[in-house]
Amino acid sequence: MAQVMMKDLNKKYDEVHAVKDVNLHIRDKEFVVLVGPSGCGKSTTLRMVAGLEEITSGEITIGDRIVNDLPPKDRDIAMVFQNYALYPHMTVYDNMAFGLKMRKFPKPEIQKRVQDAAEILGIQELLKRKPRQLSGGQRQRVAVGRAIVRHPQVFLFDEPLSNLDAKLRVQMRVELKRLHDRLETTAVYVTHDQVEAMTLGDRVVVMKDGWIQQVGEPLDLYSRPANKFVAGFIGSPAMNFIDVSLTDAGGLWAEGQGLRVKVAPAHATRLSAYKGQKVTLGLRPEDLRVASGGDPAEYTIDAVVDVVEPLGSEILLDLRAGQTTLVARVEPAVRAKVHETIKLALVPDRARFFDTKTELAI
Amino acid sequence: MAPAGALVLGILAYPVAWEIWASLTDFSSRAEGGPVFVGLANYGRLLGDAWFWKALATTLGYLAVTTAAKLVLGVGMALLLARPSRLRALVFLAVFLPWAYPGGITVIAWYWMLNPPLITSYSVFMGNVKHAVDGVLGAGAWAFLSVVLFNVWRGGSFTAVFLLAGLNAIPTELFEYARLESRSAWQRFRAVTLPLLAPYMALAVFLSFTTAFADLGNVWMLTGGRIIFPVVGTYAYWLAVKSGQLAEAATWTLSLVPLLALGLVVLFRWFDPREETGA
Repeated sequence: MAQVMMKDLNKKYDEVHAVKDVNLHIRDKEFVVLVGPSGCGKSTTLRMVAGLEEITSGEITIGDRIVNDLPPKDRDIAMVFQNYALYPHMTVYDNMAFGLKMRKFPKPEIQKRVQDAAEILGIQELLKRKPRQLSGGQRQRVAVGRAIVRHPQVFLFDEPLSNLDAKLRVQMRVELKRLHDRLETTAVYVTHDQVEAMTLGDRVVVMKDGWIQQVGEPLDLYSRPANKFVAGFIGSPAMNFIDVSLTDAGGLWAEGQGLRVKVAPAHATRLSAYKGQKVTLGLRPEDLRVASGGDPAEYTIDAVVDVVEPLGSEILLDLRAGQTTLVARVEPAVRAKVHETIKLALVPDRARFFDTKTELAI
Repeated sequence: MAPAGALVLGILAYPVAWEIWASLTDFSSRAEGGPVFVGLANYGRLLGDAWFWKALATTLGYLAVTTAAKLVLGVGMALLLARPSRLRALVFLAVFLPWAYPGGITVIAWYWMLNPPLITSYSVFMGNVKHAVDGVLGAGAWAFLSVVLFNVWRGGSFTAVFLLAGLNAIPTELFEYARLESRSAWQRFRAVTLPLLAPYMALAVFLSFTTAFADLGNVWMLTGGRIIFPVVGTYAYWLAVKSGQLAEAATWTLSLVPLLALGLVVLFRWFDPREETGA
């Protein structure tokens, strides 16, 4: 059972507390993504699992062994680095065979494993080449192949797609997902790209400043973010945040920064404790659309179009509403012109509210 | 590249051309009248000169020993310096000083260390060491050893700094990956560090060759100018400056050129082979 468990994991570099009390249970065969901005501690956590960084305190278990004191070679893990880390003086074959050679595997076994991996990744013709003769995508495949041949208990990926151009990244993302479905090996994947996280992860771990902010399935994180950071990090374009006060005027209303909308009954009960106080209202761009005649006025906002971003499949509108700005994601059929005033309708149930002090979701 | 190449060639062109011309004449401060063109006669005479072959053999031996020693020392010290440790500052000083300090002064220090100017129990001790070494390894062995020591002491530190730059140029992930796959530091060294350092080592070896061929400061000063010591470069100096036989000196010096060129080609083929980019 190739599970990975992190218990009260901490990492300190002199005064910098890079990883704070991380507790995570990754199940066998699960693909877990650690995501967050630079410096959030995700790479450090991964490297502690790999054994490349010393653990300051806490425990890491791989399979059924505590690996704190095990050297990296004995942890039965295989890692894929951001810049591939292929040996320039070796052929693709030798690069892929490296780990097995170091572990004194017999030649026929090495050959079989390398051939199998090369087939899975479609790089059989590249086996005799040197890394400098390969493109970025090919190099990345070799790096992945090098990990596959080891048949490890856990794959560790450290931002493997970050060095690829946008199109290639999208392609490789899908390939990695397919690979995972085929190999069914536990994987821990680190990225700063939330789209990668959502596409690849069975579960996603959002980190910030060394702390885990939330763990959950991608759609859970999207629809039920635990705090303002997760809400703003997951989903692109980011959620709109408006500081409002909650007032009682025949129902609960949210007023602030020149805007006034009603709070959906579904949320009103929960928010009644905050009557008269300030909260942060969160509206996702995709939950804002152009209002039609039939939309109730209490759930509409008047806004002036600032910038129109036509993406083809949708249009992003950057708007000024009251004293704040909003981003709305609307259908491509919408004809909006700059400086035009339009009415936006929000989806009442999808509004999110956050405590202004703790930033936790209410 | 072209302007740089033109500049380098321009600066080198005149002295090299002059030297080639001189080697084809009988230019000597002792001869009457001006230099007379003698064609390749000097070279012919050189190849038949037993002293030349002895000098060449000694030079090659000197070269082999010092280069090997410097390479080993250099790699060792570079590895020590590559990772942060408590010893690092001390090792860095030990590595950097021999090279940074002016050679003219350090060679005198070594000279006095090996051949003390004052009569003390230390000088007696050194005298005994010299006799012992010469007794076991033959006459001139002590001189050879002391010259080698100085060369290695000074050149080893240069090699170390050079290889340290090479080590730092290698991306850390390449070493990290090796750590993930191998527990043995020696295994990692042989499979990863050495091959990746190879091009830098090739250059360091070549630089070592060039200094060995013409290690004037070392050989001349360490032996007090008494033994011109059959190293080709030093003998050429003696011929030219001390004896005024410029043509012969030029011949001796230029005889090294094909050897050096060959060495360069072999080294770079061996350490840094260019692959044909095939399908």
